[in-house]
Amino acid sequence: MAERFDLVVVGAGPAGLTAAIYGSRSRLRTIVLDEGMPGGQVKTTHKVSNYPGFPEDVKGAELAGLFSKQAERFGARIARAVEITKMDLASREKSFVLDEDEEITGRAVIVATGAKPRALGLPGEDTFRGRGISYCATCDGAYFEGKDIHVIGGGNSAVEESLFLTQFSRSLTIIHQFDEFQAEPGTAKEALENPKIKVMWSHEPRAFLGETVLQQLRVENLKTKQTSELDTDGVFVFVGMVPRTELLKGVVPLDRWGCVETDDSMQTSVPGLFAAGDIRAKKFRQITTAVADGTIAALAAQKYLRETR
Amino acid sequence: MSENVREIQATQYETEVLAAPEPVVLDFFSTECPPCEALAPKFEAVADQFKGRVRFFKIFRQGNRDLAAKLAVTSSPTLLFYKGGKEVGSRLTGDIKRSEIKQTVEAMLA
Repeated sequence: MAERFDLVVVGAGPAGLTAAIYGSRSRLRTIVLDEGMPGGQVKTTHKVSNYPGFPEDVKGAELAGLFSKQAERFGARIARAVEITKMDLASREKSFVLDEDEEITGRAVIVATGAKPRALGLPGEDTFRGRGISYCATCDGAYFEGKDIHVIGGGNSAVEESLFLTQFSRSLTIIHQFDEFQAEPGTAKEALENPKIKVMWSHEPRAFLGETVLQQLRVENLKTKQTSELDTDGVFVFVGMVPRTELLKGVVPLDRWGCVETDDSMQTSVPGLFAAGDIRAKKFRQITTAVADGTIAALAAQKYLRETR
Repeated sequence: MSENVREIQATQYETEVLAAPEPVVLDFFSTECPPCEALAPKFEAVADQFKGRVRFFKIFRQGNRDLAAKLAVTSSPTLLFYKGGKEVGSRLTGDIKRSEIKQTVEAMLA
């Protein structure tokens, strides 16, 4: 027998957990489903400096923990490490099968599955993933104690995570396609002044090379078009994110970046189906914009449930 | 932790993993690693499912650095699969789904 909820939230990042806080506070029977642990991208961000209410930096994992604690305090159930193995989002009563086993239903669904790190799509990347190539500094930084490593990218994540990685590495070289960082000026300055960090401007990676483990990174100098092979112990890739909209393929239209179009109430083209956070087609993606999306989606879902009762 | 998942140390690698009569799944994990935390309940669920047919071990990377280096494991979590004392199949790393572990184990048993 399927367990019935008013609101099913898919994805326990800042958008999903905020939707759960608002949903459960307004007495909706609310469940949040996540493939992993709650927190989304925040939980692997080593520190967060621009989330209001934390005048000192807050650790990403700590902030993520606070979000879920708050949602659970109001009665939302957070289902951790569950996989959706079957679902129907088109019907009025939407349903999900979890791990081929448990069935749940809900009349309103908020999809807030966020985004995942973009892979470069270069030769050798699949071969050496986990054998020298990493996409998570907090997870894998300690593997590179005293090592010489490279970071690909020049945005906020790349530069901030580089600063974090210098506590382990002997040296760190950032490979960046442009002549200056896209990261916030304060962070960029800190990196440029860090004696362990070198930058190769106007360079792009071309291939990952090695036998059983990654040994070299091939880069191209975009100005001279010359390629060269750099010896490396490890490469961290931070070149942006791609939306995790696999669930919504064929259910709602996606834009050319794979993001979901919604109206300003976070409503998709399917009645009762809302989208919030990084998966939504929009210009800026911050923790603050995700929590705003989650709030709006939950309030709109509440209104939808009231009006279609 | 499920009784079907046991934590081992590098010194037990030969006897428990390589010399095991059954196929083995070995999980290298770290602390301060959200995908490792997320994997733990899925790993246990799959271990329970294949109880008696496949051995499931976890090994703490920070305490077993040399073995991790020897096996070229540089990311947590990393799952390695063994049959007859040899590593088989593809490793799984990062955000690992329960269905992926199950499929890999089933392929190993087939």
